[in-house]
Amino acid sequence: MNGSSAAAVVTRGLVKQHGQGHGGVRAVDEIDLEVPQGQTLAVMGPSGCGKSTLLHLLGGLERPDGGEVWLAGRRIDTLSERALARMRRRSVGFVFQGFHLMEELTAAENVELPALLAGRSRRQARRRAGRLLDQVGLTARARHLPSQLSGGQRQRVAVARALVNDPLVVLADEPTGNLDTAATHDVLRIFGELRSAGQTFVIVTHDERVAATADRLISMRDGMFVDDLRMAAARPRGLGGLIGLGD
Amino acid sequence: MGSLVLVPRLVLADVRRHRLQAAMLLLAVTVATATMALGLSLNGVSDALYEQTRAATAGPDVVVLSGEPGPAATSALSSLARAPEVTAHHGPYRIVYADLAVHGRTSNVVVHGFAEKPGAVNRPLTTSGHWVRPGGTVLERGFATALGVGVGDRVTIAGRSYPVVGIAVTAATSVYPGAAQIGPGGAGSDYSGLAWMTRPDAKALASAHDLPVTVALDLALRDPARADAFREAHRDPDLRLTFRSWRFTAAQDLNLLKDSQPILIVGSWLIGFLAITGVAALAAGRAAEQTRRAGLLKAVGAGPGLIATVLLTEYLALALAGDALGLLIAQLSVPAIASPTDSRIGDAAGPGTAAVVTATLLAVAVAVLSTLRPTLRARRTATVTALTATAHRPRHRPRLTALSALLPTPLLLGLRLTARRPGRAVLQACSTATTVIAIVALLTLHAQTERGYGLGGSSVLPNLRGEHDRRLMLAVAVLLITLAVVNTVTFTWTTAMEAEANMAVARTLGATPGQITAGLSAAQLLPTLPGAVLGVPLGDGLLSLFAARNAVQAPSSWLLAAVLATLVATAALTALPARLAARRPVARALSAEAA
Amino acid sequence: MQDAVLAMLAKEPSHGYELHARLRRSLGPLGESMNRGQIYVTLARLERAGLVTSEREDGLPERPERKVHALTPAGQQRVTAWLAEVGWPKPDLAEFHLKLAAAAAGRLADPVELIAAQRRELLRRLREAQQAALAEPAEPGPAEPGPAESGPAGPGAGLLLEGVMLRLRADLRWLDACERAWSRADDEIEGG
Repeated sequence: MNGSSAAAVVTRGLVKQHGQGHGGVRAVDEIDLEVPQGQTLAVMGPSGCGKSTLLHLLGGLERPDGGEVWLAGRRIDTLSERALARMRRRSVGFVFQGFHLMEELTAAENVELPALLAGRSRRQARRRAGRLLDQVGLTARARHLPSQLSGGQRQRVAVARALVNDPLVVLADEPTGNLDTAATHDVLRIFGELRSAGQTFVIVTHDERVAATADRLISMRDGMFVDDLRMAAARPRGLGGLIGLGD
Repeated sequence: MGSLVLVPRLVLADVRRHRLQAAMLLLAVTVATATMALGLSLNGVSDALYEQTRAATAGPDVVVLSGEPGPAATSALSSLARAPEVTAHHGPYRIVYADLAVHGRTSNVVVHGFAEKPGAVNRPLTTSGHWVRPGGTVLERGFATALGVGVGDRVTIAGRSYPVVGIAVTAATSVYPGAAQIGPGGAGSDYSGLAWMTRPDAKALASAHDLPVTVALDLALRDPARADAFREAHRDPDLRLTFRSWRFTAAQDLNLLKDSQPILIVGSWLIGFLAITGVAALAAGRAAEQTRRAGLLKAVGAGPGLIATVLLTEYLALALAGDALGLLIAQLSVPAIASPTDSRIGDAAGPGTAAVVTATLLAVAVAVLSTLRPTLRARRTATVTALTATAHRPRHRPRLTALSALLPTPLLLGLRLTARRPGRAVLQACSTATTVIAIVALLTLHAQTERGYGLGGSSVLPNLRGEHDRRLMLAVAVLLITLAVVNTVTFTWTTAMEAEANMAVARTLGATPGQITAGLSAAQLLPTLPGAVLGVPLGDGLLSLFAARNAVQAPSSWLLAAVLATLVATAALTALPARLAARRPVARALSAEAA
Repeated sequence: MQDAVLAMLAKEPSHGYELHARLRRSLGPLGESMNRGQIYVTLARLERAGLVTSEREDGLPERPERKVHALTPAGQQRVTAWLAEVGWPKPDLAEFHLKLAAAAAGRLADPVELIAAQRRELLRRLREAQQAALAEPAEPGPAEPGPAESGPAGPGAGLLLEGVMLRLRADLRWLDACERAWSRADDEIEGG
């Protein structure tokens, strides 16, 4: 854990309880986490292990029952709803399993929306949206409604939308959960490009392929971290080994 | 047959799951049918009350009056009393025009000089105290009520004090303040009350003050239905006689209710319209669910007929229940509304057959009109599509979206929310316009100046008809506004629930709860503005159809204030549901969507 | 490997370097480690077994080692038999299962630790495969009607990579099940 000053996301003793008293379950149980700038962290675990709740806590969508959440050196769990909203506009981009695009808005309008919410001018918003849609390879579909797009395309729109305000961190909740292999690869490819550009990611997933691309993989069970695996940059060791060739 | 057992079960289960909606439909239909039934019952009730009073007081079939008393008139009347069609008579008797003062109020009064022992025709029914005796007067009940006088009080008639020994009603004259059938010398009459005295007292009163007098004769005919023919047969070219048939008097009673009927009938249409908009919005909000239900029923083998039956039965059953409730309310409130004076006795029968049928048709129309579209759609949609149906997908509105991008966040969200459901925006506008129409009518009615029933048009005795109209209008306006409030809250909540996922996404994108609240409110306010502005000319136009020639318009400052108040009230009303919706946890809304 | 080389000769007689190139194309990034020598060794073995004949090509005297290989009738029979064969290599799960049992019984190692180590190894392999797959050109599919790429006949190596990854993911899930089971076993021992 070096350079905590450069950490994008930090939590200390984070607790979130669902339900009260003895019937209550600790969805997140005393979690300490530090995600440096530029790191891609994947959190894996069975359904109900608390990984989505953790993500919501990091993005200020839920408030912790204990502990602290810091984003870019600023404590956010004590902020007012209004300040949290402002923080989300500036620092967080969400990508969800269900895409959560606005059905009545075109791809471009969906991408522009956070920029408009953040008070950018219409022209700026449009320019940024255009650039991002180009980056995710959907320039030709900018004027399509979500219903006219495939699942993979919708998720790419959602990724572009998450990026439109240059967030400090992208929080992704099962980003490939509803996608087929080809679309999963599209999304992972875009994530890869963004990582090369220094984007920080926290990805909650139960897709091992997504997890395998992360710099660091945390396994979560019953609200706690049970394994923390740092993966070195892949050294091609002869892929033939995977199919029993060459050795 | 098995499927017929199924229908009530499905309907009951659905009503139980959507209690609030059921309650709203019930309320709306109840209010609409009650108002309509009341409006339609007025005529019948007024007639029935007259009929009962007439029976109880041996009401004359014809009253003959002569404004020029003298031997000629007396002999003409006496010969009329001997006419072959006449079976019984009362009089001729004196009618003295005087004034009456009590408790600092003064009024015109006509004093009828009657025998201490009533005759065969026109025997006023004493409802309290006893009949005239020397030195004492009996007041007509409607008049006494308006004056606030009871037995034992003293009244001053033409400067002399008389004890009130009794209160009575009669069918020989119109209800208060129409007691003076003709004025002095046969001229037009002014608002007057009615009092009775003994013949000598009446004579003394007239001569002591040299008051104008009319002579009258009450007749009972062999065939009461031929009262008008009797007049034609006995017209006297030399003498100006006024014939008043019982039918004429009964019709005069309705004069008091002249404006009540349009207030109630038009009011009931407006209320019915609001009911339809409210229930239609609710039904549309449930369209997706209904479609899925229809799909499920089809999947298990129900035919289109059964599906339509299930879907419609629920609304029809509720509407008919509301209809029954409304008719009951109409029945209970009809005496108060159809008989604004105490000049008549008897029980008001409930709404007649025509009123019941019309009110029921209104209830059925509300149910059918508000659910027809979703029901038809649910029937038509293919089973598989229906089973996977989500809420009907909002359309893209590029211009509005582009326009909204220029606006501050709450308006941006609001405009886009409005664009999602243009149909609902229209309903909201209509609902607002209806409310404003009611308010305009109320204000205009209050702006009217009218002659009081006191002496010389003084308002120490208020104009009963005006009072009654204003009270009725207020009641109708309150009902309309109540429904509009329910509608607005429903619209806001439905919009909020439908847009919940979208608003949650906006929250993740950094919209504050305040901006979401303001956006949801703005979505309702945007259509409210044109609705309110339109409501003013519409209200004026609607009123001009019924207004008297000398009617004045409400001051425009009042109307402007009404429009502004409507907007402010809508903003306030939408704030609470919008705020509640905006405060719902984002994470839950998102996971509900994903599930 | 032998069967695959034989089957490739069934279409037409080929040079060794052609066979190598075709294999590399089919295997994509997975075939990068395969050198031409392996092909020549395999061809020599097949020739010794009488399944393949070879003859020097005329008119190219300056490249003497350049031989054209063709199937013998026996070779053809072997290809037919291979295509009809439905045998499937079995992943050796039993061995790992027994390893865990033995480690626990003899208190030689913590099974949960062994599982974690194995998991890391599989994840490392999955990561390699994933990165190779991402480097492959996107499959033209209904979702992405891009310009049809003129690649090799039939699906490319991406398909093979997908199979590899599916296997690895299945193994990872089984390891998760192992971990749950052995963690529970641990708890029971500690608790009891």
